[in-house]
Amino acid sequence: MSTLLVWREKLQKIYAGYSVYILKGLQFVMGLLLFGLINANVGFMKMASSIFCTIGLAVVCAFLPMIVMVIVATVLILIHFYTLSLPIAIVSAVLFLLMYIFYFRFTPKKTWLVLVSALAFGLKIPFVVPVVFGLMGSPVWVVPAAFGVVAYYMVDFVKGSATALKSADADGVAGSLISFTRQVLGNKEMWLMVLAVAVGILVVNMVRTRSVNNAWKIASASGAVVCVVIASVGNIVLGGHISYVSIVVSGVLGAVLGLVLEFLFFSVDYSRTENIQFEDDEYYYYVKAVPKIGVSVPEKKVKHITDETGDKNSNTDDILLTRSLSKELGLEKEKSE
Amino acid sequence: MLDKRKIRLMTRAAIYEKEYGEEDLKISSYYRKDYSSLNTWITLIWVTVGYFLFGGIIFLCYGETLIEGITITRLLIFAAVAVALYLALIIIYGIGAGSFYSKKHARAKQRVKKYIRDITRLEKMNKTKERNRS
Repeated sequence: MSTLLVWREKLQKIYAGYSVYILKGLQFVMGLLLFGLINANVGFMKMASSIFCTIGLAVVCAFLPMIVMVIVATVLILIHFYTLSLPIAIVSAVLFLLMYIFYFRFTPKKTWLVLVSALAFGLKIPFVVPVVFGLMGSPVWVVPAAFGVVAYYMVDFVKGSATALKSADADGVAGSLISFTRQVLGNKEMWLMVLAVAVGILVVNMVRTRSVNNAWKIASASGAVVCVVIASVGNIVLGGHISYVSIVVSGVLGAVLGLVLEFLFFSVDYSRTENIQFEDDEYYYYVKAVPKIGVSVPEKKVKHITDETGDKNSNTDDILLTRSLSKELGLEKEKSE
Repeated sequence: MLDKRKIRLMTRAAIYEKEYGEEDLKISSYYRKDYSSLNTWITLIWVTVGYFLFGGIIFLCYGETLIEGITITRLLIFAAVAVALYLALIIIYGIGAGSFYSKKHARAKQRVKKYIRDITRLEKMNKTKERNRS
Protein backbone atom coordinates (compact mmCIF):
# COMPACT_ATOMS: atom_id res chain seq x y z
CA MET A 1 0.00 0.00 0.00
CA SER A 2 2.76 2.43 0.92
CA THR A 3 4.40 1.82 -2.48
CA LEU A 4 1.14 2.73 -4.16
CA LEU A 5 0.87 5.86 -2.05
CA VAL A 6 4.41 6.83 -3.01
CA TRP A 7 3.43 6.33 -6.64
CA ARG A 8 0.41 8.53 -6.12
CA GLU A 9 2.59 11.29 -4.69
CA LYS A 10 4.95 10.93 -7.64
CA LEU A 11 2.02 11.13 -10.04
CA GLN A 12 0.80 14.26 -8.30
CA LYS A 13 4.23 15.82 -8.65
CA ILE A 14 4.41 14.92 -12.33
CA TYR A 15 0.94 16.34 -12.86
CA ALA A 16 1.82 19.53 -11.02
CA GLY A 17 4.90 19.93 -13.18
CA TYR A 18 3.41 19.11 -16.56
CA SER A 19 -0.33 19.73 -16.09
CA VAL A 20 -0.57 21.91 -19.21
CA TYR A 21 0.81 19.18 -21.47
CA ILE A 22 -1.08 16.37 -19.71
CA LEU A 23 -4.40 18.21 -20.00
CA LYS A 24 -3.83 19.04 -23.65
CA GLY A 25 -2.85 15.42 -24.30
CA LEU A 26 -6.00 14.13 -22.61
CA GLN A 27 -8.11 16.64 -24.52
CA PHE A 28 -6.52 15.44 -27.77
CA VAL A 29 -7.20 11.78 -26.93
CA MET A 30 -10.77 12.60 -26.02
CA GLY A 31 -11.25 14.52 -29.26
CA LEU A 32 -9.74 11.66 -31.24
CA LEU A 33 -12.06 9.13 -29.59
CA LEU A 34 -15.12 11.35 -29.94
CA PHE A 35 -14.67 12.44 -33.55
CA GLY A 36 -13.44 8.94 -34.45
CA LEU A 37 -16.58 7.36 -32.98
CA ILE A 38 -18.87 9.89 -34.67
CA ASN A 39 -17.21 9.43 -38.05
CA ALA A 40 -17.04 5.65 -37.71
CA ASN A 41 -20.73 5.35 -36.79
CA VAL A 42 -22.51 8.05 -38.77
CA GLY A 43 -19.86 9.21 -41.26
CA PHE A 44 -22.30 9.86 -44.10
CA MET A 45 -20.39 12.82 -45.47
CA LYS A 46 -17.18 11.34 -46.81
CA MET A 47 -15.16 14.54 -46.67
CA ALA A 48 -15.97 15.11 -42.98
CA SER A 49 -15.42 11.49 -42.01
CA SER A 50 -11.87 11.21 -43.34
CA ILE A 51 -9.05 10.39 -40.93
CA PHE A 52 -7.45 13.78 -41.63
CA CYS A 53 -10.61 15.55 -40.56
CA THR A 54 -10.81 13.44 -37.37
CA ILE A 55 -7.20 14.10 -36.40
CA GLY A 56 -7.35 17.73 -37.49
CA LEU A 57 -10.44 18.43 -35.41
CA ALA A 58 -8.93 16.63 -32.41
CA VAL A 59 -5.73 18.69 -32.68
CA VAL A 60 -7.58 21.99 -33.05
CA CYS A 61 -9.98 21.20 -30.19
CA ALA A 62 -7.06 20.21 -27.93
CA PHE A 63 -5.92 23.84 -27.90
CA LEU A 64 -9.36 25.35 -27.34
CA PRO A 65 -11.77 25.26 -24.37
CA MET A 66 -13.86 22.11 -23.92
CA ILE A 67 -17.06 23.87 -24.93
CA VAL A 68 -15.63 24.24 -28.44
CA MET A 69 -15.24 20.45 -28.65
CA VAL A 70 -18.90 20.04 -27.70
CA ILE A 71 -19.99 22.56 -30.36
CA VAL A 72 -17.77 20.96 -33.02
CA ALA A 73 -19.10 17.47 -32.17
CA THR A 74 -22.69 18.74 -32.40
CA VAL A 75 -22.04 20.42 -35.75
CA LEU A 76 -20.27 17.31 -37.07
CA ILE A 77 -23.21 15.10 -36.12
CA LEU A 78 -25.66 17.53 -37.72
CA ILE A 79 -23.60 17.69 -40.93
CA HIS A 80 -23.59 13.90 -41.21
CA PHE A 81 -27.33 13.75 -40.47
CA TYR A 82 -28.02 16.46 -43.03
CA THR A 83 -26.13 14.46 -45.64
CA LEU A 84 -28.38 11.50 -44.84
CA SER A 85 -31.67 13.34 -44.54
CA LEU A 86 -32.88 16.88 -43.82
CA PRO A 87 -35.69 15.92 -41.38
CA ILE A 88 -33.26 13.92 -39.23
CA ALA A 89 -30.94 16.91 -39.07
CA ILE A 90 -33.85 19.20 -38.11
CA VAL A 91 -35.12 16.95 -35.29
CA SER A 92 -31.59 16.40 -33.97
CA ALA A 93 -30.87 20.15 -34.07
CA VAL A 94 -34.07 20.81 -32.11
CA LEU A 95 -33.11 18.19 -29.51
CA PHE A 96 -29.62 19.70 -29.14
CA LEU A 97 -31.18 23.16 -28.88
CA LEU A 98 -33.50 21.94 -26.11
CA MET A 99 -30.48 20.62 -24.20
CA TYR A 100 -28.89 24.05 -24.50
CA ILE A 101 -32.00 25.98 -23.49
CA PHE A 102 -32.92 23.95 -20.44
CA TYR A 103 -29.49 23.29 -18.96
CA PHE A 104 -26.28 24.34 -20.69
CA ARG A 105 -27.13 28.05 -20.73
CA PHE A 106 -26.54 27.99 -16.98
CA THR A 107 -23.38 25.89 -16.79
CA PRO A 108 -21.50 26.11 -20.10
CA LYS A 109 -18.31 24.95 -18.38
CA LYS A 110 -19.91 21.60 -17.51
CA THR A 111 -20.98 20.84 -21.08
CA TRP A 112 -18.08 18.44 -21.62
CA LEU A 113 -19.74 15.99 -19.20
CA VAL A 114 -22.20 15.19 -22.01
CA LEU A 115 -19.25 14.10 -24.11
CA VAL A 116 -17.90 11.85 -21.35
CA SER A 117 -21.31 10.25 -20.90
CA ALA A 118 -21.86 9.70 -24.63
CA LEU A 119 -18.28 8.41 -25.04
CA ALA A 120 -18.70 5.87 -22.25
CA PHE A 121 -21.83 4.56 -23.96
CA GLY A 122 -19.99 4.51 -27.29
CA LEU A 123 -17.19 2.47 -25.74
CA LYS A 124 -19.78 0.03 -24.30
CA ILE A 125 -18.98 0.84 -20.67
CA PRO A 126 -22.17 2.72 -19.71
CA PHE A 127 -22.11 2.11 -15.95
CA VAL A 128 -18.78 3.76 -15.47
CA VAL A 129 -20.71 7.03 -15.85
CA PRO A 130 -22.92 6.83 -12.72
CA VAL A 131 -20.02 5.78 -10.51
CA VAL A 132 -17.61 8.46 -11.76
CA PHE A 133 -20.22 11.24 -11.87
CA GLY A 134 -21.65 10.28 -8.47
CA LEU A 135 -18.22 10.23 -6.82
CA MET A 136 -16.73 13.31 -8.43
CA GLY A 137 -19.78 15.52 -8.90
CA SER A 138 -23.11 16.58 -7.49
CA PRO A 139 -26.67 15.29 -8.06
CA VAL A 140 -27.12 17.93 -10.80
CA TRP A 141 -24.68 15.93 -12.95
CA VAL A 142 -27.67 13.68 -13.66
CA VAL A 143 -28.76 16.16 -16.33
CA PRO A 144 -25.60 16.16 -18.52
CA ALA A 145 -25.33 12.38 -18.07
CA ALA A 146 -28.92 11.92 -19.28
CA PHE A 147 -28.33 14.25 -22.24
CA GLY A 148 -25.24 12.25 -23.15
CA VAL A 149 -27.30 9.04 -23.15
CA VAL A 150 -29.97 10.64 -25.37
CA ALA A 151 -27.33 11.94 -27.80
CA TYR A 152 -25.65 8.52 -27.97
CA TYR A 153 -28.90 6.64 -28.61
CA MET A 154 -29.91 9.15 -31.27
CA VAL A 155 -26.65 8.57 -33.14
CA ASP A 156 -26.89 4.83 -32.56
CA PHE A 157 -30.43 4.74 -33.93
CA VAL A 158 -29.44 6.65 -37.08
CA LYS A 159 -26.47 4.30 -37.55
CA GLY A 160 -28.69 1.22 -37.23
CA SER A 161 -31.43 2.37 -39.59
CA ALA A 162 -29.68 4.66 -42.04
CA THR A 163 -31.00 2.86 -45.12
CA ALA A 164 -34.58 2.85 -43.86
CA LEU A 165 -34.36 6.52 -42.94
CA LYS A 166 -32.97 7.39 -46.36
CA SER A 167 -35.83 5.58 -48.11
CA ALA A 168 -38.39 7.17 -45.75
CA ASP A 169 -37.02 10.54 -46.84
CA ALA A 170 -38.46 9.90 -50.31
CA ASP A 171 -41.99 9.75 -48.83
CA GLY A 172 -41.86 13.41 -47.87
CA VAL A 173 -40.32 15.66 -45.24
CA ALA A 174 -43.34 15.62 -42.90
CA GLY A 175 -43.63 11.82 -42.83
CA SER A 176 -39.92 11.48 -42.27
CA LEU A 177 -39.95 14.05 -39.45
CA ILE A 178 -42.79 12.24 -37.67
CA SER A 179 -41.34 8.75 -38.02
CA PHE A 180 -37.83 9.75 -36.90
CA THR A 181 -39.10 11.73 -33.88
CA ARG A 182 -41.34 8.84 -32.86
CA GLN A 183 -38.59 6.28 -33.18
CA VAL A 184 -36.00 8.34 -31.31
CA LEU A 185 -38.22 9.46 -28.45
CA GLY A 186 -40.05 6.15 -28.27
CA ASN A 187 -36.83 4.21 -27.78
CA LYS A 188 -37.54 2.32 -24.54
CA GLU A 189 -33.95 1.13 -24.23
CA MET A 190 -32.80 4.76 -24.19
CA TRP A 191 -35.20 5.76 -21.42
CA LEU A 192 -34.25 2.65 -19.45
CA MET A 193 -30.59 3.62 -19.60
CA VAL A 194 -31.41 7.23 -18.70
CA LEU A 195 -33.27 5.93 -15.64
CA ALA A 196 -30.46 3.53 -14.67
CA VAL A 197 -27.78 6.22 -14.99
CA ALA A 198 -29.83 8.87 -13.15
CA VAL A 199 -30.71 6.57 -10.24
CA GLY A 200 -27.12 5.29 -10.18
CA ILE A 201 -25.66 8.81 -9.90
CA LEU A 202 -28.11 9.76 -7.15
CA VAL A 203 -27.39 6.58 -5.15
CA VAL A 204 -23.60 6.91 -5.48
CA ASN A 205 -23.71 10.58 -4.55
CA MET A 206 -26.02 10.02 -1.59
CA VAL A 207 -23.91 7.21 -0.13
CA ARG A 208 -20.61 9.02 -0.84
CA THR A 209 -21.70 12.07 1.16
CA ARG A 210 -22.61 10.02 4.27
CA SER A 211 -20.18 9.93 7.17
CA VAL A 212 -20.00 6.12 7.33
CA ASN A 213 -16.65 4.38 7.10
CA ASN A 214 -15.59 3.39 3.59
CA ALA A 215 -18.35 5.55 2.13
CA TRP A 216 -16.63 5.77 -1.27
CA LYS A 217 -16.26 1.99 -1.58
CA ILE A 218 -19.87 1.36 -0.53
CA ALA A 219 -21.05 4.10 -2.90
CA SER A 220 -19.21 2.68 -5.91
CA ALA A 221 -20.38 -0.87 -5.24
CA SER A 222 -23.99 0.08 -4.51
CA GLY A 223 -24.18 2.39 -7.54
CA ALA A 224 -22.85 -0.32 -9.83
CA VAL A 225 -25.25 -2.91 -8.39
CA VAL A 226 -28.26 -0.57 -8.68
CA CYS A 227 -27.42 0.18 -12.33
CA VAL A 228 -26.92 -3.49 -13.20
CA VAL A 229 -30.20 -4.45 -11.51
CA ILE A 230 -32.25 -1.67 -13.15
CA ALA A 231 -30.79 -2.35 -16.59
CA SER A 232 -31.24 -6.14 -16.32
CA VAL A 233 -34.80 -5.99 -14.96
CA GLY A 234 -35.77 -3.33 -17.49
CA ASN A 235 -34.21 -5.34 -20.28
CA ILE A 236 -36.29 -8.40 -19.31
CA VAL A 237 -39.54 -6.46 -18.79
CA LEU A 238 -39.24 -4.36 -21.96
CA GLY A 239 -37.74 -7.16 -24.02
CA GLY A 240 -34.72 -5.02 -24.91
CA HIS A 241 -31.56 -6.00 -26.71
CA ILE A 242 -28.96 -4.73 -24.25
CA SER A 243 -26.08 -7.19 -23.91
CA TYR A 244 -25.89 -8.66 -20.39
CA VAL A 245 -22.14 -9.05 -20.78
CA SER A 246 -21.85 -5.31 -21.39
CA ILE A 247 -24.11 -4.58 -18.39
CA VAL A 248 -22.14 -6.78 -15.98
CA VAL A 249 -18.68 -5.91 -17.30
CA SER A 250 -19.38 -2.17 -17.21
CA GLY A 251 -20.83 -2.51 -13.68
CA VAL A 252 -17.69 -4.29 -12.47
CA LEU A 253 -15.48 -1.78 -14.31
CA GLY A 254 -17.43 1.05 -12.68
CA ALA A 255 -16.85 -0.39 -9.20
CA VAL A 256 -13.13 -0.88 -9.93
CA LEU A 257 -12.84 2.66 -11.28
CA GLY A 258 -14.54 3.82 -8.08
CA LEU A 259 -11.76 2.19 -6.06
CA VAL A 260 -9.13 3.86 -8.23
CA LEU A 261 -10.80 7.25 -7.77
CA GLU A 262 -10.99 6.70 -4.02
CA PHE A 263 -7.28 5.90 -3.95
CA LEU A 264 -6.46 9.00 -5.97
CA PHE A 265 -8.77 11.55 -4.37
CA PHE A 266 -9.90 10.25 -0.99
CA SER A 267 -7.34 8.05 0.71
CA VAL A 268 -8.01 8.17 4.43
CA ASP A 269 -7.13 5.95 7.38
CA TYR A 270 -10.37 4.84 9.02
CA SER A 271 -8.49 2.97 11.76
CA ARG A 272 -7.37 6.31 13.24
CA THR A 273 -10.83 7.89 13.20
CA GLU A 274 -11.54 10.33 16.04
CA ASN A 275 -15.05 10.91 17.34
CA ILE A 276 -15.21 14.18 19.21
CA GLN A 277 -18.06 15.83 21.05
CA PHE A 278 -18.19 19.45 22.21
CA GLU A 279 -20.69 22.25 22.67
CA ASP A 280 -21.16 25.99 22.56
CA ASP A 281 -24.05 28.20 23.67
CA GLU A 282 -26.34 27.10 20.88
CA TYR A 283 -25.32 23.64 19.70
CA TYR A 284 -23.88 20.26 20.62
CA TYR A 285 -21.34 19.09 18.07
CA TYR A 286 -20.63 15.45 17.22
CA VAL A 287 -17.58 15.52 14.98
CA LYS A 288 -15.99 12.60 13.19
CA ALA A 289 -12.45 13.33 12.03
CA VAL A 290 -10.79 10.87 9.67
CA PRO A 291 -7.08 11.47 9.05
CA LYS A 292 -5.76 11.55 5.52
CA ILE A 293 -3.01 9.16 4.54
CA GLY A 294 0.08 11.07 3.55
CA VAL A 295 3.40 9.64 2.44
CA SER A 296 6.48 11.66 1.67
CA VAL A 297 8.29 10.61 -1.49
CA PRO A 298 11.89 9.54 -0.78
CA GLU A 299 14.12 12.16 -2.36
CA LYS A 300 16.98 11.18 -4.62
CA LYS A 301 20.38 12.28 -3.34
CA VAL A 302 22.79 13.41 -6.00
CA LYS A 303 26.41 12.97 -5.05
CA HIS A 304 28.77 15.30 -6.87
CA ILE A 305 32.07 13.66 -7.67
CA THR A 306 33.86 16.67 -9.09
CA ASP A 307 33.79 20.30 -8.10
CA GLU A 308 32.71 21.36 -11.58
CA THR A 309 29.08 20.33 -11.26
CA GLY A 310 27.76 22.24 -14.24
CA ASP A 311 30.45 21.22 -16.72
CA LYS A 312 28.61 19.98 -19.77
CA ASN A 313 31.70 18.94 -21.67
CA SER A 314 32.82 16.31 -19.19
CA ASN A 315 32.07 12.90 -20.58
CA THR A 316 31.78 9.50 -18.93
CA ASP A 317 35.48 8.68 -19.33
CA ASP A 318 36.42 11.86 -17.50
CA ILE A 319 34.02 11.08 -14.67
CA LEU A 320 35.33 7.51 -14.30
CA LEU A 321 38.92 8.71 -14.43
CA THR A 322 38.29 11.37 -11.82
CA ARG A 323 36.51 8.86 -9.59
CA SER A 324 39.33 6.30 -9.76
CA LEU A 325 41.97 8.98 -9.23
CA SER A 326 40.22 10.43 -6.22
CA LYS A 327 39.88 6.92 -4.80
CA GLU A 328 43.56 6.22 -5.33
CA LEU A 329 44.69 9.50 -3.88
CA GLY A 330 42.16 9.38 -1.04
CA LEU A 331 40.70 12.76 -2.01
CA GLU A 332 37.13 11.74 -1.22
CA LYS A 333 37.99 11.02 2.41
CA GLU A 334 39.72 14.36 2.74
CA LYS A 335 36.70 16.13 1.32
CA SER A 336 34.31 14.47 3.71
CA GLU A 337 36.60 15.21 6.63
CA MET B 1 15.99 42.03 -5.76
CA LEU B 2 12.78 40.13 -6.42
CA ASP B 3 9.89 41.10 -4.21
CA LYS B 4 8.04 37.88 -3.34
CA ARG B 5 4.97 39.70 -2.03
CA LYS B 6 4.66 41.65 -5.23
CA ILE B 7 5.11 38.54 -7.38
CA ARG B 8 2.42 36.76 -5.40
CA LEU B 9 -0.02 39.63 -5.84
CA MET B 10 0.73 39.96 -9.55
CA THR B 11 0.31 36.21 -10.10
CA ARG B 12 -3.02 36.21 -8.25
CA ALA B 13 -4.24 39.17 -10.28
CA ALA B 14 -3.10 37.58 -13.56
CA ILE B 15 -4.81 34.27 -12.74
CA TYR B 16 -7.99 36.13 -11.88
CA GLU B 17 -7.87 38.15 -15.11
CA LYS B 18 -7.38 34.97 -17.13
CA GLU B 19 -10.10 32.95 -15.40
CA TYR B 20 -12.88 35.39 -14.59
CA GLY B 21 -11.70 38.94 -15.29
CA GLU B 22 -13.66 39.90 -18.36
CA GLU B 23 -16.94 38.26 -17.37
CA ASP B 24 -16.78 39.46 -13.78
CA LEU B 25 -16.18 43.07 -14.74
CA LYS B 26 -19.13 42.89 -17.13
CA ILE B 27 -21.37 41.38 -14.44
CA SER B 28 -20.33 43.82 -11.74
CA SER B 29 -21.11 46.79 -13.98
CA TYR B 30 -24.80 46.03 -13.22
CA TYR B 31 -26.63 46.37 -9.93
CA ARG B 32 -27.49 42.95 -8.54
CA LYS B 33 -31.24 43.37 -9.03
CA ASP B 34 -30.82 44.65 -12.59
CA TYR B 35 -28.47 41.83 -13.55
CA SER B 36 -30.64 39.18 -11.97
CA SER B 37 -33.91 40.41 -13.48
CA LEU B 38 -32.44 40.99 -16.96
CA ASN B 39 -31.05 37.47 -17.10
CA THR B 40 -34.20 35.97 -15.62
CA TRP B 41 -36.21 37.59 -18.42
CA ILE B 42 -33.79 36.28 -21.02
CA THR B 43 -34.08 32.81 -19.47
CA LEU B 44 -37.87 32.99 -19.53
CA ILE B 45 -37.82 33.91 -23.22
CA TRP B 46 -35.51 30.96 -23.93
CA VAL B 47 -37.69 28.65 -21.84
CA THR B 48 -40.74 29.78 -23.82
CA VAL B 49 -38.93 29.00 -27.08
CA GLY B 50 -37.83 25.65 -25.62
CA TYR B 51 -41.35 24.85 -24.45
CA PHE B 52 -42.81 25.44 -27.91
CA LEU B 53 -40.04 23.39 -29.53
CA PHE B 54 -40.63 20.58 -27.05
CA GLY B 55 -44.38 20.86 -27.65
CA GLY B 56 -43.72 20.61 -31.37
CA ILE B 57 -41.64 17.48 -30.91
CA ILE B 58 -44.29 15.88 -28.70
CA PHE B 59 -46.94 16.81 -31.24
CA LEU B 60 -44.87 15.20 -33.98
CA CYS B 61 -44.65 12.06 -31.88
CA TYR B 62 -48.20 11.70 -30.61
CA GLY B 63 -50.10 14.26 -32.71
CA GLU B 64 -52.10 11.71 -34.65
CA THR B 65 -53.19 9.87 -31.52
CA LEU B 66 -54.14 13.13 -29.82
CA ILE B 67 -56.17 14.48 -32.75
CA GLU B 68 -57.97 11.20 -33.39
CA GLY B 69 -61.59 11.50 -32.25
CA ILE B 70 -61.01 14.84 -30.57
CA THR B 71 -63.93 16.69 -28.98
CA ILE B 72 -64.14 20.28 -27.76
CA THR B 73 -63.99 19.16 -24.13
CA ARG B 74 -60.87 17.13 -24.80
CA LEU B 75 -59.31 20.01 -26.70
CA LEU B 76 -60.00 22.34 -23.79
CA ILE B 77 -58.45 19.85 -21.37
CA PHE B 78 -55.34 19.58 -23.57
CA ALA B 79 -55.10 23.36 -23.75
CA ALA B 80 -55.50 23.67 -19.97
CA VAL B 81 -52.81 21.04 -19.35
CA ALA B 82 -50.46 22.77 -21.83
CA VAL B 83 -50.98 26.17 -20.20
CA ALA B 84 -50.57 24.70 -16.69
CA LEU B 85 -47.33 22.99 -17.71
CA TYR B 86 -46.05 26.20 -19.28
CA LEU B 87 -46.87 28.21 -16.17
CA ALA B 88 -45.24 25.63 -13.92
CA LEU B 89 -42.10 25.67 -16.07
CA ILE B 90 -42.00 29.46 -16.13
CA ILE B 91 -42.42 29.68 -12.35
CA ILE B 92 -39.76 27.02 -11.65
CA TYR B 93 -37.25 28.52 -14.09
CA GLY B 94 -38.11 32.09 -13.02
CA ILE B 95 -37.39 31.36 -9.36
CA GLY B 96 -34.36 29.19 -10.17
CA ALA B 97 -32.83 31.66 -12.61
CA GLY B 98 -33.45 34.60 -10.27
CA SER B 99 -31.59 32.93 -7.43
CA PHE B 100 -28.86 31.55 -9.75
CA TYR B 101 -28.04 34.93 -11.33
CA SER B 102 -28.28 36.74 -8.01
CA LYS B 103 -25.70 34.35 -6.51
CA LYS B 104 -23.56 34.63 -9.64
CA HIS B 105 -23.55 38.43 -9.32
CA ALA B 106 -22.66 38.26 -5.62
CA ARG B 107 -19.74 35.90 -6.30
CA ALA B 108 -18.46 38.02 -9.18
CA LYS B 109 -18.69 41.18 -7.09
CA GLN B 110 -16.73 39.54 -4.27
CA ARG B 111 -14.00 38.41 -6.66
CA VAL B 112 -13.79 41.87 -8.24
CA LYS B 113 -13.45 43.39 -4.77
CA LYS B 114 -10.52 41.10 -3.97
CA TYR B 115 -8.94 41.84 -7.34
CA ILE B 116 -9.22 45.61 -6.86
CA ARG B 117 -7.74 45.25 -3.38
CA ASP B 118 -4.76 43.37 -4.83
CA ILE B 119 -4.30 45.97 -7.57
CA THR B 120 -4.43 48.81 -5.03
CA ARG B 121 -1.81 47.07 -2.91
CA LEU B 122 0.40 46.64 -5.96
CA GLU B 123 0.03 50.30 -6.84
CA LYS B 124 1.00 51.31 -3.32
CA MET B 125 4.05 49.06 -3.46
CA ASN B 126 5.09 50.57 -6.77
CA LYS B 127 4.68 54.10 -5.44
CA THR B 128 6.74 53.31 -2.34
CA LYS B 129 9.46 51.85 -4.52
CA GLU B 130 9.52 54.91 -6.76
CA ARG B 131 9.70 57.20 -3.73
CA ASN B 132 12.62 55.21 -2.33
CA ARG B 133 14.44 55.43 -5.64
CA SER B 134 14.03 59.18 -5.89
